Amino acid sequence: MSATNLKSKRNPLVRAIQLILWSDLGPVVALFVILILFTLADNLWGSGRFLSMRNARVMLNSASLVAVPALGMTIIIIAGGIDLSAGTALTLCATALAILLKNDVSYMAAVPVVLLVGCACGAANGTIISTLRVVPFIVTLGSMTIYLGIGQILSGESTVFPPRENIPAWLIDLCSTGKPDVYYGWLPNIPRSVLFALVLACFVAVLLRYTVFGRSVFAIGSNESTARLCGINIPLTKILVYTIAGFFVAVGGVYHFANIKNGNPSEGVGLELQVIAAVVVGGGSLSGGRGSVLGTVTGAMIMAAIRSGCDQLSIPNPYQLIIIGAIIVIAVTMDRLREGSPEWLFRWLQSRSP
Amino acid sequence: MPRRTLLLLSILLLVGCNTAKEQGSGSGAGSGKLRFAVVPKGTSHEFWKSVHFGAEKAAQELGNVEVVWKGPIKESDTASQVEVVKNMITQQVDGICLAPNHSQGLVDVVNEADDEGIPVVIFDSGLGEGAGYVSYVATDNYQGGKLAAKQMAYAIGEKGNVILLRYRAGSESTEQREQGFLDGISEYPDITVVSSDQYGEENASSAKAKVEQLLQVHGQSLNGIFAVCEPNANGTLEALRNTGHDKTVKFIAFDPSDSLIDAMKDGSCSGIVLQDPVQMGYMAVKTMAAHLKGEAPEKFISTGEYVATAENMEEERYQTLLKPKLFGE
Amino acid sequence: MNPDVPLLEMVGVSKAFGPTQALSDVSLSVVAGKVLALVGENGAGKSTLLKILSGAHHADRGEMRIAGHLFRPANPHDARAAGVAMIYQELNLAPDLTVEDNILLGQAGTGWGTLLRGRLRPRVLDALQTVGLGELSPKAIVGALSVAQQQLIEIARALASNAKIILFDEPTSSLPKHDVERLFEIIRRLRETGIGVVYISHFLEEVRDICDTYTVLRDGHNAGGGVIDEVTDAQIVACMVGRDVADLFPKVPHTPGEPWVRVEDLSGQSSPLEVTVQLRRGEIFGVAGLVGAGRTELLRCIVGLDYCRTGVVYVDGQAAGHSLRARMTRGIGLVSEDRKSEGLAQELSIIDNMTLSNLAPYTKLGLLDLKKRGKAVAELMARLEVKARHGHQAISDLSGGNQQKVAIARILHQNADILLLDEPTKGIDVGTKAEIYRLMGELAAQGKTIVFVSSYLPELLAVCDRIGVMARGRLRDVRETSQWTEESVMECAIEIDGGGIDA
Repeated sequence: MSATNLKSKRNPLVRAIQLILWSDLGPVVALFVILILFTLADNLWGSGRFLSMRNARVMLNSASLVAVPALGMTIIIIAGGIDLSAGTALTLCATALAILLKNDVSYMAAVPVVLLVGCACGAANGTIISTLRVVPFIVTLGSMTIYLGIGQILSGESTVFPPRENIPAWLIDLCSTGKPDVYYGWLPNIPRSVLFALVLACFVAVLLRYTVFGRSVFAIGSNESTARLCGINIPLTKILVYTIAGFFVAVGGVYHFANIKNGNPSEGVGLELQVIAAVVVGGGSLSGGRGSVLGTVTGAMIMAAIRSGCDQLSIPNPYQLIIIGAIIVIAVTMDRLREGSPEWLFRWLQSRSP
Repeated sequence: MPRRTLLLLSILLLVGCNTAKEQGSGSGAGSGKLRFAVVPKGTSHEFWKSVHFGAEKAAQELGNVEVVWKGPIKESDTASQVEVVKNMITQQVDGICLAPNHSQGLVDVVNEADDEGIPVVIFDSGLGEGAGYVSYVATDNYQGGKLAAKQMAYAIGEKGNVILLRYRAGSESTEQREQGFLDGISEYPDITVVSSDQYGEENASSAKAKVEQLLQVHGQSLNGIFAVCEPNANGTLEALRNTGHDKTVKFIAFDPSDSLIDAMKDGSCSGIVLQDPVQMGYMAVKTMAAHLKGEAPEKFISTGEYVATAENMEEERYQTLLKPKLFGE
Repeated sequence: MNPDVPLLEMVGVSKAFGPTQALSDVSLSVVAGKVLALVGENGAGKSTLLKILSGAHHADRGEMRIAGHLFRPANPHDARAAGVAMIYQELNLAPDLTVEDNILLGQAGTGWGTLLRGRLRPRVLDALQTVGLGELSPKAIVGALSVAQQQLIEIARALASNAKIILFDEPTSSLPKHDVERLFEIIRRLRETGIGVVYISHFLEEVRDICDTYTVLRDGHNAGGGVIDEVTDAQIVACMVGRDVADLFPKVPHTPGEPWVRVEDLSGQSSPLEVTVQLRRGEIFGVAGLVGAGRTELLRCIVGLDYCRTGVVYVDGQAAGHSLRARMTRGIGLVSEDRKSEGLAQELSIIDNMTLSNLAPYTKLGLLDLKKRGKAVAELMARLEVKARHGHQAISDLSGGNQQKVAIARILHQNADILLLDEPTKGIDVGTKAEIYRLMGELAAQGKTIVFVSSYLPELLAVCDRIGVMARGRLRDVRETSQWTEESVMECAIEIDGGGIDA
């Protein structure tokens, strides 16, 4: 009987896969693949407009609607937490903005108030989580319905829409994806929502990478005991994490309002899952310690690209749902592959090497 | 190394972007067939399948029209509907027939379509001021509400206490029904509206919970209840049965469903206000086609409203309205 | 059984992980009724070998036989079925289940997917009897038992599955002395019943105590082997390290200075109790005692990590505050006993781990100067000879010894002058241990104070200037090292345990 004789040299296929996965650019590569696939499919069967300036505007705008709250969620998830209340807190903020504008409050006052509301929602979560030591999942599951309830009280259980003349022009145009394609013949028309989201993304990226706070967030998410040992003020850091996330939720609320010009608290139910999905698809780990701004932004764009592509190809809603679900599962599987698991897959790939 | 590859890829994509765009603008008009996007409020209620049926029927009669059917899943999801319409604009369809699920939320995107040179026909539910659209094809919902009031008065003998269960704020069509009902009821001095400020919201279960609450408060002295749309009506019916009020409280619904038709047979429901969804989809597409031919359609086109009762429900005319044809059957 | 055919035989086994060759051409044989010691430095390939034996990894080359039959486990379950059982360093029991259910976990003889507890009861009782837990109820919940008892239950589980070969991976590292004795008693009993045992340990005296033969691994190769009684400890160590270790405990000359740290009447939640001690500059102060004597708790209270009921820590005559942060700024730093779950954030980089506790030097206008930080870390890594490709490598990639160096580097980086080292040499190979002793000596020579907690008496006696012995949370006695012997330390540590003196 002969001994098992496996190649000790690595299969190039395995190496290629691992190169992509380990380079942290996995989501970006995935985004390109998806864009290319949809472009091809659209040129074959669709109207051929998937890859156009206009659609880029639409996709980027709808990505930014998710990406902005997802920036906050990224910080939370890196710190090993989760925020299920992000969706309803977001629509609570949008509703608050609608009510304030409806009652003739100037946006100069209304927007800061809304940002404060968002921070307060986050701070409440953070305080309960770090002082009472309850798991974030449970705390935010509770606050999710609390924020929904508060929103419904404020809105009188219905949709609030301020008269159009009360909405400032910049807010009306914030999420506008209309003409022209280019200004002055060369400057691409990118929606303001996208530009502002990019600024916020850079801010968070710097915050996470270049500040003591950012390193503390990674440390807490990676190993809370170690963080404690290193003298990091864990309760304070956690409260800050959720408060900052609340700020981004509030900005997301303003975006949401600008997009549909009304506030309905119940529209936020389920939104938190889109936000979490963007972070996870972008390589964030729900067990904490890992995640990146680039990944999250890419994750949001992947989801937006899929939604847009499915619309362009007239793929019916049920199939679109299945595709989005599959992408999330694949993304999380990729996350496992990064860690070299499951072993059987790598063994199998290796055994098939020529 | 991978970074450089990515850079290369993005340049390729950008180049592709420009060429695809030029290709697109060239091929859109040349294909001969007109593509109409028909965007319902949502895709989960039967009502919209009948609209779909009507739209396809019109497309078939016209011959050179293709219907692109796409809508959000939930009727309350304004953000998704905005996105669907935006994507339809991107596709450069020849016309958009839209049932806006919010009177304000869709104004901007309809104007966006207008700017891009794509005409919009609104159906089922109206749109707020400042929106540039060709025509509005719908049931005269105000009239429908009035019909409901008349039937209610008849059912309860022109006196007693009634409840109006609203749908949601910002939904133009139901708000008009609600107004029509209140105006209609006010002609009967002996009828009191004990509650008209509660919203059933988007689905049957939320409506059911709301009605159960209302019955707690007003159940003893209540004579009638009017639910302004199908999900609301189904929830209301369940609530009435659950609490045993289905024989004492007269119930008027708006839009039919199988359970409501059964309820009318056993007397739990005293009337269903009917609209003609098939006609609505049909007229929306026809109006769009007419507009593109250069004709000037009416600004408002009514598709009619009717009341089915236990007495007339077996008549063929009412049968087709009670069980309208569905797309895909 | 034919005594000529070894119970387990491995011939020419090789295994590579990517570019690293973990094992090359390793052979060994286990005879029924004998105990084989598998020794080698960390990273020598012992764990990989065990994982191949237990079916968790697959050999690239080579073959294994059990009682002459080819043995090629596809997964751990296969290995179990073939009679190979593994007792890991970290216990693998379900803490919420009963003793019985744990023993029967994953067991054959569960019919139609149901657990026939009644029918299997005799087997469970039998196994418990063999490991000396005859009096324990099979219905007891495992989580409520002591670590030592849990380990015995693991052995019982192996017995109940009719294991012919049992592999022990450093089974004594978390056991107090008398439980070690009990474990050895049981291993001897297993040996008598004809079971083959593979025993991995860093403690050569244990190996000498319990094993018959030995195999040394070095860098994934067979480096030697034979009958244990025919060699000296020094020979085995030389074989492990690959050179003569002239000095297992290198001494760096240093002279303790004047006392400058005073711990006064320190009491924690349950331990330590009323500990008062003075520490001198440039001194290595050893803390001995049994597991559970409160040594770890003492360090944690001194650094301010655990809650203290009473007590003050004076540094240079000034009280050092109570919070961890306050004590840290006064120069107190702790290297945790548990590298994996507390000491280091495994997924984070070396750079992050080293600098986490002191980022102030790199902060300018609220932003970090990453370049400057990377440079500082590179210097520290060079100084402590941390073996890694670069500072951005994740901690989990490093060997235990290198991880420990990073943990020590962190408290050096936070400018600690009072270094509290809790079992810093636990699970570290001989070569790196010597490096750490030398480092401790160098730091003491620079005037730093080192508090060194260890369960391994020879190293305490060799390295420390003074040794304090703890028992039941109290610091029983402090003497110059020259006035201690291994026996007197043990007596002092156990005396109270026996109930003789109680304060």
